[in-house]
Amino acid sequence: MARILVTGANGFLGAKVVERLLLNGEQVRCLVRAGSDLTRLESVRQQHLDGRRGPDNAGESEIVVGSLSTIESAASLLDGVEVVVHLAAALRGTAADMFLNTVVTTDKLLQAVFARTPAPRVVLVSSFGVYGTADLPANSVVDETTPLEPHPERRDHYSYAKLRQETLAWEYQRLHGFPLVVLRPGVIYGPGGGGLSARIGLQLPGVFLNLGGKNLLPLSFVDNCADAVMLAATDARTDGQVLNVHDDELPTSREFFAAYQRIVGKKFALTVPFPLLQLGSYLCDRYHRASRGQLPAIFTPYKTLTTWKGTRFSNAKLKSLGWKQRIPTAQAMQLTFDALANRQATKSG
Amino acid sequence: MSTPLRVGIVGCGKIADGHVEEAAKLSNDARIVAVCDREALMAEQLSVRYGIPAVYTDMHKMLSEQRLDVVHITTPPSSHLALGTLSLEHGCHVFVEKPVAPTHADSRRLIAAAQQFGKKLTTGYTYLFDPPALRLESLLRNGDLGEVIHLESFYGYHLAGPFGAAVMSDPAHWVHALPGNLFQNNADHLLNKVVPFFAGETPKVVAVGKQVSGYGDCRDNVLSEVRLLLAGAGCTATCTFSSAIKPAGHFLRVYGSKNTVHVDFNARTVTLEGAIQLPSAAGRLVPAFQRSLEYAQEGLANVRRFARSEFHFFAGLNELMRRFYACIRDDSPPPIPYHEILMVSELIEKASAQLITEVAK
Repeated sequence: MARILVTGANGFLGAKVVERLLLNGEQVRCLVRAGSDLTRLESVRQQHLDGRRGPDNAGESEIVVGSLSTIESAASLLDGVEVVVHLAAALRGTAADMFLNTVVTTDKLLQAVFARTPAPRVVLVSSFGVYGTADLPANSVVDETTPLEPHPERRDHYSYAKLRQETLAWEYQRLHGFPLVVLRPGVIYGPGGGGLSARIGLQLPGVFLNLGGKNLLPLSFVDNCADAVMLAATDARTDGQVLNVHDDELPTSREFFAAYQRIVGKKFALTVPFPLLQLGSYLCDRYHRASRGQLPAIFTPYKTLTTWKGTRFSNAKLKSLGWKQRIPTAQAMQLTFDALANRQATKSG
Repeated sequence: MSTPLRVGIVGCGKIADGHVEEAAKLSNDARIVAVCDREALMAEQLSVRYGIPAVYTDMHKMLSEQRLDVVHITTPPSSHLALGTLSLEHGCHVFVEKPVAPTHADSRRLIAAAQQFGKKLTTGYTYLFDPPALRLESLLRNGDLGEVIHLESFYGYHLAGPFGAAVMSDPAHWVHALPGNLFQNNADHLLNKVVPFFAGETPKVVAVGKQVSGYGDCRDNVLSEVRLLLAGAGCTATCTFSSAIKPAGHFLRVYGSKNTVHVDFNARTVTLEGAIQLPSAAGRLVPAFQRSLEYAQEGLANVRRFARSEFHFFAGLNELMRRFYACIRDDSPPPIPYHEILMVSELIEKASAQLITEVAK
């Protein structure tokens, strides 16, 4: 009988979390939606079935095709489950779709959770995007005491959905008292992940706008992030806590992009200094309003301040609970960029 | 200037965003004052993102508390008849998203209810009000095409696009419950452009199609390819719904006794293909340049519209809403004649009946 339910188990982080849990000898139920591409998850499971990587006491996993669209469908996944690792969330789509597939699904899952006695522990993987950093002074340290975003409607749809997901979880936790731990990862990266994060810049046709400059990137290498999720899933000391998840040795955006160019390949890039970016954001927002939404406001002064004002980050709380960065940043970047270079070579070859 | 109409929205999924955003541009005509969704969180997100003051999970409560003039129904089609009738009973005019109802009989009932209560009703045939469609209207009015002999309507669909993927990954998606499933959910856009040419008499329809396979459940019923031949007393039409043809085009060709016009809804161009005037080889040489010139002129006209901020994605929805609110204010006929809406639903039902082989429940 599975002890840990992982939602979003076939995602970039999800498959890695399943792997870490299996290596830890856990019995894992992997929730996936109908029609999902299971390549990542099946690859992890296969490695363990073959015994190539797992130790002798490696755990077992089962894949369940289901959904969190109703309380009943969520409840049917919880038999025997002591811990729910909730990773499933929408990363793209319209605002309403993202909200539906992030917040409403969480609502159904949590209602199913607190209806059980005893209720399973819940590890909710939230996001750095919930912090309201636009109004912080430059060089402030973002930690778990940083205020949440006061103007979600002024942010992107993803941040809004993740913020509401998290506040909903805490509302239910206060009302029903189930054990809840919230992780807020920064930018998760690694082999098999996306290319350059929006914190680094924006790819336009033929030119990359290099926006991050000297800003530190709150990077979380996917293996290190999965370690944090496993810690939260298996250590009850984390109950009731919010934990920021990022690595120790954080590069600046400039350093990260330089390493990308060196290993993956050169991009034609234009560096946009912060004052110019602010001006561009102002004009973009102004045009969006004046044209009554003819083009979307990709940049606004508020979003720009949130992302590129120059903040620092602390993972001290996570470390105090025993998390250590297993893969050093230099190695993590090399692994990530090698995989990206291979992917590009395969594409072009 | 009259007081703006008080509008409520029921159904806070993604299409509701378009309605709210376009209503905001028509603030002299209407104000969205309340949103309603059975799912409280969905109602909340729409109200938070757009600053709409009143939020409901109970339609009865919204109707009794808000003194609405108009209700926009943006829920899945199975609820349209009940919600539409309820809104009409409360004295509201109704803008219902397409398809009006899952069956032709229910579409008739809803329109009959609107007539019975003396209220206006319209539906989301937005492309009929997009700039190219309005341009076609003026060409027809001026007699530039002569007598319309034949029409060709094409609607391409991305099965892997955001909506298509959501439908195909979820056997419980509401689209699968429509008698004509995915085809029915798109066929309004295919057919609503041709029905005005059939002068009130529903044409004969012959349908052929193809369903997807390999899912082992109701998704195997999904009609991914459909071809229709419509034959009326005055003209004929062929209609293509395709998810395989790339690029996924969206156009109407109107073949007239004088000229043929190509109306491209994706590129927002309207190009007239006149008869070749020059003899021999010159007659083969010049038309390409004539067409290029026409496209260049259309492109420049679009640039001018863009510069004037008149090139919005939902331009058709905006124009339809503007005309709908105007017809309420002036008590004039609604922007889409009811017999056209009913002809579309009848044709969809007839075509679907010929096409669907229930391969799986």
